[in-house]
Amino acid sequence: MYNFLFYFLIELVGLFYLILSFSVIVIYFIIMILSALEMRDYRRKNRFADYEDIITSPIAPGVSILAPAYNEGSNIVQNVKSLLSLHYGKFEVIIINDGSKDDTLTKLLDAFELQKVSYAYNSEIITQEVKGVYKSQNKSYRRLTVIDKANGGKADALNAGINISQMEILACIDVDCILANDSLTRMVRPFMEETNRKVIAVGGAIGIANNCDVQDGTVTKYRVPQSTLGQFQVIEYCRAFLMGRMAWTRINGLMLISGAFGFFRRDLVLKVGGYFPKTVGEDMELVVRMRRYMEEKKIPYKVSFIPDPLCWTEVPEDVEVLGRQRNRWMRGTIETLQLHRKIGLNPKFGILGTISYPFWSVFEKMAPIIEIFGLIYTLILLIIGDFSAIYFLALLFMIYLLSLLVSSFSILYEQISYNNYKNKSDLKKLIWIILIEPLYIHPKVLLWGLKGHLDFIIGKGGWGQMIRTGFKTAEERKTIEAQAEKSL
Amino acid sequence: MKRKLLLFIFFLATLSLSFGQEGLLPFRDSAALIQELKLQEEIPSFSYKFFIPKVSKNSKIPGDSTFLWVETDTAFISKAFKNGTLIDSLYEPLKGDSASILFFVYEEKTNINGLRSYLETMYATGDFVLAEDKEQPENDILLVASSNNYQPLDAYKNRLLGDFKLLAVTLIILFFIFSAASMIIFMLIFKTQRNQREENIKNYEQEIIGPLTNLLFEKDLEEISQMSNEEISDIFPKSLFKKRLFKQVLIERIIGLNKKMKGEFKDKLKTLYKRLGLVELTKANLKDSRWDKISAGLVQVNEMDLGELINEVKSFTNSKNFYVRSLAGATLLNLSEKVDLSFLKDQDYPLSDWQQMNYLRIIKFVGSSKFLNIPILLKSKNQSVREFAIKLVRMLGRVDLIAELHMINEASTDDEKIELINTYDALGAHMEVEFINNCMLSTNPDLKKIAVKAAGNLGNSYSEVILMDILVQTIDFRLRRACLTSLSKLNTETFEKFVSTQPLPENQALKAQIQDPLLSNV
Repeated sequence: MYNFLFYFLIELVGLFYLILSFSVIVIYFIIMILSALEMRDYRRKNRFADYEDIITSPIAPGVSILAPAYNEGSNIVQNVKSLLSLHYGKFEVIIINDGSKDDTLTKLLDAFELQKVSYAYNSEIITQEVKGVYKSQNKSYRRLTVIDKANGGKADALNAGINISQMEILACIDVDCILANDSLTRMVRPFMEETNRKVIAVGGAIGIANNCDVQDGTVTKYRVPQSTLGQFQVIEYCRAFLMGRMAWTRINGLMLISGAFGFFRRDLVLKVGGYFPKTVGEDMELVVRMRRYMEEKKIPYKVSFIPDPLCWTEVPEDVEVLGRQRNRWMRGTIETLQLHRKIGLNPKFGILGTISYPFWSVFEKMAPIIEIFGLIYTLILLIIGDFSAIYFLALLFMIYLLSLLVSSFSILYEQISYNNYKNKSDLKKLIWIILIEPLYIHPKVLLWGLKGHLDFIIGKGGWGQMIRTGFKTAEERKTIEAQAEKSL
Repeated sequence: MKRKLLLFIFFLATLSLSFGQEGLLPFRDSAALIQELKLQEEIPSFSYKFFIPKVSKNSKIPGDSTFLWVETDTAFISKAFKNGTLIDSLYEPLKGDSASILFFVYEEKTNINGLRSYLETMYATGDFVLAEDKEQPENDILLVASSNNYQPLDAYKNRLLGDFKLLAVTLIILFFIFSAASMIIFMLIFKTQRNQREENIKNYEQEIIGPLTNLLFEKDLEEISQMSNEEISDIFPKSLFKKRLFKQVLIERIIGLNKKMKGEFKDKLKTLYKRLGLVELTKANLKDSRWDKISAGLVQVNEMDLGELINEVKSFTNSKNFYVRSLAGATLLNLSEKVDLSFLKDQDYPLSDWQQMNYLRIIKFVGSSKFLNIPILLKSKNQSVREFAIKLVRMLGRVDLIAELHMINEASTDDEKIELINTYDALGAHMEVEFINNCMLSTNPDLKKIAVKAAGNLGNSYSEVILMDILVQTIDFRLRRACLTSLSKLNTETFEKFVSTQPLPENQALKAQIQDPLLSNV
């Protein structure tokens, strides 16, 4: 009897993995088709958009750029200057010094001639103590506001920024990101275009700036990073932004807008209570909460996405730092899904409840667990002698090919749409990474995901520390390269 | 515990052995067993040999290809035989030599008991079947069938086709390989085509720029209009002019120059556009089913002032496609002799901010030279159009239309009221203070806030009373800040008095903020 049950269970698990494998294939094919359609439409629409009007038009909405800074002393002045020089008519830049232990605040005070003002700060959203609000005496920096507050994490810092923001649209960014000059005009467009539904948030694609040349806050020469992990992230970002998010946008199912570059309607953010500071996945959690609010109020809405590379960031190339980042992402995902489990498979929440939430639960949150159990299942089959080598190899080859197909498709997208990586050697490097990723990098990603689950269970939290090398200007790069050549 | 378990298993094993002592084969004695052997053609791992003892040391036996005798010190031993049915026939010629039979199991010599035990084991496992049973299979066919594993036609079946899961996986792999190959081929073709197209565009631009510049600078407008068809067709190489891409590049080039140039040059370009027959391409675009082609056609009509296509453009003003109707509207605004804005009034779809922004730019541009019938928009059934009309009054600074706005004050929705107040505030319409005061009492927080803000510039003594009432009643921080700011603008004395009589820390903080010169814009 027990013997029968055991073998029945083994058959059942086998069937589950078979169905799962085919679901993955079908879903990725659907994603590829949807993203292709969305990208085609986006590019067609872009041909008829004149962005110059937005810069000066009184009808265009104002934008409050919120950038939390924690120990960013090395680059803060350069980054803020870059933000202040964006091409847009109506915007303000709010830098929130989140209790930095370095000289971030001093550098800001000196560089922008800031003076403490008698700002009547009101905790519309409750935050850690705000020690002071600073404005510049120099009219050139009239758009800049600096908040100095006790450390409370990124979400808390953003909430402090939301409390004093004045404009209709909030642009929540990482202070170390490089924004293209026309980033605001392009990101604001979806808010202005839609008539039948309210656009509540717009996400933007993020490019990888490691190894690129930066001149006056703009990426002038694109190169793929030098390390394998950096190159892997180029492919991963293409997959996530050009494919995944475009596909979700097509069906209005986008659940995540990157915390490094996201635009939100301020009134709605205030209505839902701002960022939730107790999760490390505050970006995803806010989008889900806003969507949930709109669904509950039965107001037609949309979450848009702009695939143009308008924001560039430095990604971690160190295994430990990258591992910590992935661990945090996993914990953030689990926390958000746990917090909003009410919407899962609930038709009241439309696409959010019936498609987006289950997808994230199975293919993002549970993916590492399912994969590791798959491995254990294979070992059990080996032990009991019910292992079919040909079947195993065929499935393995199939999934490997799927990975190759999806990754190549995302690179093809990049090449067709933007063609930033013009150098053939860059393309070759990316193709090589596509080939080795499932075997060399994916197991690491799997382990980081598992660690995220474990840390979530034992209640281990925190952000970890990002080690930045800083962006290089073309000149700096030349000097560094010359020094490297000499040392060789 | 482990030890006890092992002992128990050992006990069970010995128990089963002891109960398994009883013979299974129906042979009464060794003769019966030999008789059975003589009926078996082959028994697995069983063989037998003949043995002839030597009479003397020098005894010889003639060589025999059947027995292949091997000589030892004491005897002659034959080769091993497996077929039991041959025992008698083989033994017959050896009878005279007092030969005997030796039994072997797994090539090991055994006696009759050993052989019996071996056969019993084989019988129990089904590997040995009695000759008697073999001879009557038709009587026990079910028994025979059940003793064999059922494997229907397995030998003739392709494994791949038999295993549906493996077949599915294989098909998917093939599909993936096909898809990947197609994608790579597509990528290569696409890249090649794009490179070729870019190269062609570059070449065409080179071909276009020279003749176009010569025409613009060497000929005046009249000369261009009077050029014969032959002269026109000689401007560009005929072989190139037949190509669609060349014409597209030419259109883009002419439109690009038209945007940058002014005065007579613009007219020359427009005349040239028509003389080169590019209008036909524009017409074709407008008739296309793809929205992006229609949009491209509308852009061409708009940029090149193709007034003759105005009727075609009008048909798109209520198009389902946002871009088509936006561009059609913009083109109509640009080209109509009399900008009566009636097409906007009759819009079924709500006007987006994006459309309003584009229309505003054009209206600002043409407003000075053409008549704009803005009041007609205030009568539109479409709320977004009415709101746009109010914005137009504000953004164009049309103080003369304040009376028109006044007429819709009461009938308007809250969103329209917000626009009206913003407009009165921007135009300094002090006569609308009563309306603003009424709006300050509204239950709509957005309308209330806007009215409070406007009261700071346009309010009267009654506004001060309302502001103080709101300050006493509300806890909304932003509204309180707006009230205090307006109060300080309206009457500094009242403001100071209010703050001193209501010495809440929040009021003091807001007062400090309002009076901080660095925060004047906050």
